[in-house]
Amino acid sequence: MKKQLLILPSVFFLLILSIFFYLLTIDRNPSELPSTLLNKNVPKFETESLLKNEKFISSQEFGNETTLVNFFATWCKPCRDEHAYIQRFSNEKGIKVIGINYKDNPKKTIQWLKKLGNPYSNVAVDKNGRIAIDWGVYGIPETFIVNSKGVIKYRHVGPVTKKIYRKINLIIGENK
Amino acid sequence: MVPFLGNFFLWLSLFFVIFQFFISRKNNKLKFITIAVNGLLISSFVSFFLLMYVHIVSDFSVLNVFQNSHTTKPLLYKISGVWGNHEGSMLLWILVLTIFNYFIFKLYNKKNSTFVSKALETQAFVTTGFILFTILTSNPFERIIPTPENGLGFNPILQDPALVIHPPLLYIGYVGFSAAFSISIATLSLENGEKIPWHIYMKPFVLVAWTFLSIGIALGAVWAYYELGWGGWWFWDPVENASFMPWLLGTALLHSLIIVEKRKSLQAWVLLLSILAFLLSVVGTFLVRSGILTSVHTFALDPSRGIYILAFTALLGGYSLILFGTKSKKYFDNNYFTFFSKEGSILINNILMVVVCSTVFLGTIYPLLVEAFTNNKISVGEPYYNSTVIPIIIPAILVMGIGPILSWGKEDKSKTFKKIFPSILLTSIMTLFIFLIYQSYSAVGIAGVILSFWIISNNLVILFKKNTNLSSGMIVAHLGIGLLILGITGSSIWQEEKIIRMKIDSEIKIKKNNIIFKKIDEIVGPNYVALQGNFWVYDKKKNIITKLKPENRFYPITNNFTTEASIHTNLFRDLYIVLGEGNLNDGWVVRIYYNPLVIWIWIGALVIFLGGIISITSNLKKLKSLA
Repeated sequence: MKKQLLILPSVFFLLILSIFFYLLTIDRNPSELPSTLLNKNVPKFETESLLKNEKFISSQEFGNETTLVNFFATWCKPCRDEHAYIQRFSNEKGIKVIGINYKDNPKKTIQWLKKLGNPYSNVAVDKNGRIAIDWGVYGIPETFIVNSKGVIKYRHVGPVTKKIYRKINLIIGENK
Repeated sequence: MVPFLGNFFLWLSLFFVIFQFFISRKNNKLKFITIAVNGLLISSFVSFFLLMYVHIVSDFSVLNVFQNSHTTKPLLYKISGVWGNHEGSMLLWILVLTIFNYFIFKLYNKKNSTFVSKALETQAFVTTGFILFTILTSNPFERIIPTPENGLGFNPILQDPALVIHPPLLYIGYVGFSAAFSISIATLSLENGEKIPWHIYMKPFVLVAWTFLSIGIALGAVWAYYELGWGGWWFWDPVENASFMPWLLGTALLHSLIIVEKRKSLQAWVLLLSILAFLLSVVGTFLVRSGILTSVHTFALDPSRGIYILAFTALLGGYSLILFGTKSKKYFDNNYFTFFSKEGSILINNILMVVVCSTVFLGTIYPLLVEAFTNNKISVGEPYYNSTVIPIIIPAILVMGIGPILSWGKEDKSKTFKKIFPSILLTSIMTLFIFLIYQSYSAVGIAGVILSFWIISNNLVILFKKNTNLSSGMIVAHLGIGLLILGITGSSIWQEEKIIRMKIDSEIKIKKNNIIFKKIDEIVGPNYVALQGNFWVYDKKKNIITKLKPENRFYPITNNFTTEASIHTNLFRDLYIVLGEGNLNDGWVVRIYYNPLVIWIWIGALVIFLGGIISITSNLKKLKSLA
């Protein structure tokens, strides 16, 4: 065997590690999953509205202005953590935020929103998780940006943090 | 006071390990080495048990306890909470490293002092890296002021008996390869012409690592099966892969060591494998702890930790592989094997194991590669692994059945047929029998059943033959693999799943069982409240078989829900019920699985473990006779 060949394992190994290194240092987020719905229209659905005494009809909610869609539940702790940011979107930035209440108890949710503040202009009730399946939700919380034509432009899995908050604002700015 | 002491002993172990590193460089100082090795062992032991103590007494002035514990947590999970989090598990990792360090030291005698010193130096270097990592980025004894009144609680999904011992067993596996790594480095550093029976030193460590890794992986699967409530036990998650890859290389390493022992061949290959097996264990740790991948196991997303482990891995890997590149020449030989012989079959299996390992490795890091080069995100899932791993494993298992009965050197082909004839007969009968019971036909199913009985009957035939000089540990472990394959085939090919909404007193049929939803109760556990469904299972003749009680638990402290599957097991099948959400009016969503032969996976894993233990004992005897 050629002696030079013996050095191959180390070269190969260090090459892979340098790729890991590159991925660690760049600004990336492993929980930012690609959505198959990216650049597609929002899935159509009809369900009850949590806050209003009428049906929640998706075609009436989306397609007029840039909208944030936030899947949440009162039993999910990260949802509570990100709630302050979701509120900042609607209060400070004046962005329309739609909540989708995933597998939750409506009474509890109304109380929860009273206590913590309600950033949502309307909340769809996803009692058995059917809507979440259509949106390809991986685990809540998840947040989507839908542009004024009703097309999904961005998806974030997991709670909105300071970094993600800034990022979402940037993307919304681009899509206005 | 106690947390301060714990921290002190952690620093003390850092002191001892650095001392060991420098003292073993100038060997022949047995007295000092003894002090260093024992000091390191004792201080890491004390440090670990002090952390356990603060967890047991719920000392919330320690950040680690505050974040992961709560006064209402059952004692067993207070203890397992020590390694159920990143910082504490690093302390366990260090403890296991120092235990193996101690056993390397036990090999020390006058004839091999230089060699063992070199291995101790390497082991000290590895241990230093991990202790520094723990102290600098993840110290479990960090305090918080003011002391909170109670803790944040422990992830309820981790409160499971299988998960209490899963990490320690797995770590014995991963870290066991560190000893093989150190011995490999010492071997490569030997002067020309120095004769040291290094493979005899290495083998017990590899056996221990492999045996415990096997049972550790199996317990992880048990946990996934009983706790996650998805009806399956293996999901090709990156972290599962991270434990499976060192296992595959460990399997190849274990078998190659036999060839080194009997034929003095493949020495360079063994040295490389033992380096790679440990490096893969460390890379696995990196993947889990750096947050570079998303997985159910991911601990904490802290890039600074990631950079540290990565730099350390680069150092270890760079040094060891370059050493291999420059020094391994003297371990090459030009022995050629005949294809149809015992060593030929081991060699084929070796290659197949390494190919499977590379395939899994590629699948695990492929999303990362794609992201690094194209900025696109993809995920690699089950279909990839099923369509690549299974076809490579099948020939490996075929060879595995026949390998042990072939002779060393050259084998007479006509004799071979006589040897395997009983197993072929037995295999055919058992395969027919299985299909009469399950009456389900699929190509993969047939292949799986034939292969498992091929392994089982071959090993049974060997077992009942007298005067074999084959190792009994090997036969038992191989038998375990056969049972394992049977379980895997049954549960993945013939699984039946029903997801329906059921009201009280409604009935459903799965296979030959009728299941009636009797009632739903509210119950209170030690740190949770739960809804408990009550399902009565009847057989064809309307006899009651069992009452299944799946639960939907709510843990108020951590504010999360878990589902507890309820399972009825017998030798032929599992009935697995999970209670979903619902209410009295609309009924509850219920998932029911009929999982054939699952128990054979666990029995198989236990038998493999038993085989490993038998082999360890016999190899230790061999080692003693050497000294």
